[in-house]
Amino acid sequence: MLVAGIDVGSLTAEVVLIKDGNIIHYVIMPTGSNSKKAAERALDSALHAMGMKEPDLDYVVATGYGRISIDIADKRITEITCHGRGAVYLNPGVRTVIDIGGQDSKVIRLNDEGKVFDFAMNDKCAAGTGRFLEVMAQALEVGIDELAGLSEKARDTVAISSMCTVFAESEVVSLIARGLPREEIARGLHQSIADRTAGLVRRVGMEELVMITGGVAKNRALVKALNEKLVTTIIVPEEPQIAGALGAALLAQEELSS
Amino acid sequence: MTVNSKQAISTRNEEMIVKLKTESGMPVIGYICCFAPPELIAAAGALPYRITGIPGADNSAADAYVEPYGCTYVRNILARAVKGELDYLDGLVISHSCDMVQRLYGIWTYYHPLAYSYMFNVPHQLTPWSKRFFKRELGFFKESLEKYTGNEITNESLRKAIDNSNLNRKLIRKLYNMRKEDKPLFEGSEIIELLIDGGTLPAEQFRKVLEEKLAEAENREAGKEPKPRIMIWGSIMDDPSLFKMIEETGGTVITDDTCIGTRVWDKDIPLTDDLYDGLTSHYFENFQCPRTDRGPGVKRFDYLLERAREYRVNGVVGYCISFCDPHKFDYPDLRDLLKKERVPFLLIDDNYSFEPAGSIRTRLQAFIEML
Repeated sequence: MLVAGIDVGSLTAEVVLIKDGNIIHYVIMPTGSNSKKAAERALDSALHAMGMKEPDLDYVVATGYGRISIDIADKRITEITCHGRGAVYLNPGVRTVIDIGGQDSKVIRLNDEGKVFDFAMNDKCAAGTGRFLEVMAQALEVGIDELAGLSEKARDTVAISSMCTVFAESEVVSLIARGLPREEIARGLHQSIADRTAGLVRRVGMEELVMITGGVAKNRALVKALNEKLVTTIIVPEEPQIAGALGAALLAQEELSS
Repeated sequence: MTVNSKQAISTRNEEMIVKLKTESGMPVIGYICCFAPPELIAAAGALPYRITGIPGADNSAADAYVEPYGCTYVRNILARAVKGELDYLDGLVISHSCDMVQRLYGIWTYYHPLAYSYMFNVPHQLTPWSKRFFKRELGFFKESLEKYTGNEITNESLRKAIDNSNLNRKLIRKLYNMRKEDKPLFEGSEIIELLIDGGTLPAEQFRKVLEEKLAEAENREAGKEPKPRIMIWGSIMDDPSLFKMIEETGGTVITDDTCIGTRVWDKDIPLTDDLYDGLTSHYFENFQCPRTDRGPGVKRFDYLLERAREYRVNGVVGYCISFCDPHKFDYPDLRDLLKKERVPFLLIDDNYSFEPAGSIRTRLQAFIEML
């Protein structure tokens, strides 16, 4: 039995393949301007790597913003349900999932059966998301991968008061112009995302264990800031970006066995 | 897409009211909010017409008069007025339901005066004295309508107008009752479209629309699968978009608590000896808009919980236009109460555009998956 979970987000597309209950392969690719093509490319590449073809698939679940446009999907399920399912698979003790993706952040609450019972999503703007970090990295002239490292070198924090991505960018630019150390600005940026995320967590309440998923989970400095803010130790899965696609694949498997 | 479907309804209604105006020679009096009774307008020999907005339309024409952080619904209507889209109106009645709507009245009538305009005052608190105030305000409104139309509002003409609209209420209740089934004959969006479509029009025209729908519904076949049953609560929604989004994401809207739906149509206007007592009871005392403070000790949402049980609702979706103070003020109480009653609740905050649709759909679908 071969199933696939496809998660097409605003910035990246992920595919997870499960065969007879085992995760056999996953891929992460940039979404680009066409989410439908991104999904097809990611799926093809995953299948190709395993020497398989599309007709070998028994069931496909699509999730993420691009889920609507994925024609090969047998079912479309929201990333909220999928991230919840993926997180519980990675650690059955998880009750709160923080998912920070490219353009939105979510906090998902799970009950003892691992089912979603409440969630909160960020407002309509990209504040406090992966996109926010990308824009800020650009303003600080570092790669997105270097942002956390930069922040860790800081001895102090520069407070960033604007939360809007556009305003925060001009604020960062003016802080640089004032000669403030980039390390401290970077730390301030992480701090501000952590503050905002903590606010989202408070909206639905937090219960341990807490897991972080989505691409932004790879940012050590943010996880550290969140741990301090929420007074907990957040679990970061080995590959946080695939949690949604993994959840989708698991739900595809359940769909077939039910 | 949402804009187009909405435009179609508005245009349809507006063509209809202009046609009625031309045929009858009667003036059209537009109204906003549900406090000034359209029955009085009808009894004065004018055509009452509930003004609707066009969600997602360009509101920039209103920018010269209202700050961008003002209620988008009000800005939307004002933009329509400024652009001349509502020039077919002879008169305008706006109730002081909230401060933004009151300002709409001031700006509109100052810059674009109409042949007739009336600011209908509504007290914010429910007390024996405020009920007397409301009843007197009905009297002043009656006088001003008589002066403008030259027709006396007699008890007979008012009684006839109330009978007409109560007849519609009976038909609407029938429609809602059909939604109580496990596999309802039609979707919730059809009802709300009908209420926007017809509810804006004079009672006789509305009745025709309702009768057609009921006759057509009798020939339908049920048999679709039961879906999660949603109730919608919230601020003005003269647009079926949210209903349709819920249907597209796997749920079905079984009932609502909005001022386009049940708040206006669910209960009859009582035919009291003094007809103005009945109007006071319907349009003030028992009208469930959060802009009226019902006083301490009142179990504010008993009516809503009762409705949720009656319609076997699985979850409530709240809709709030950004900066709608009255509804936002009610929200924490309602949220906590529904949590206590174990009724899942999701709030959609919107700037009267139902956009970004993708993000709203994700919230709705996740909520429905959760039920």
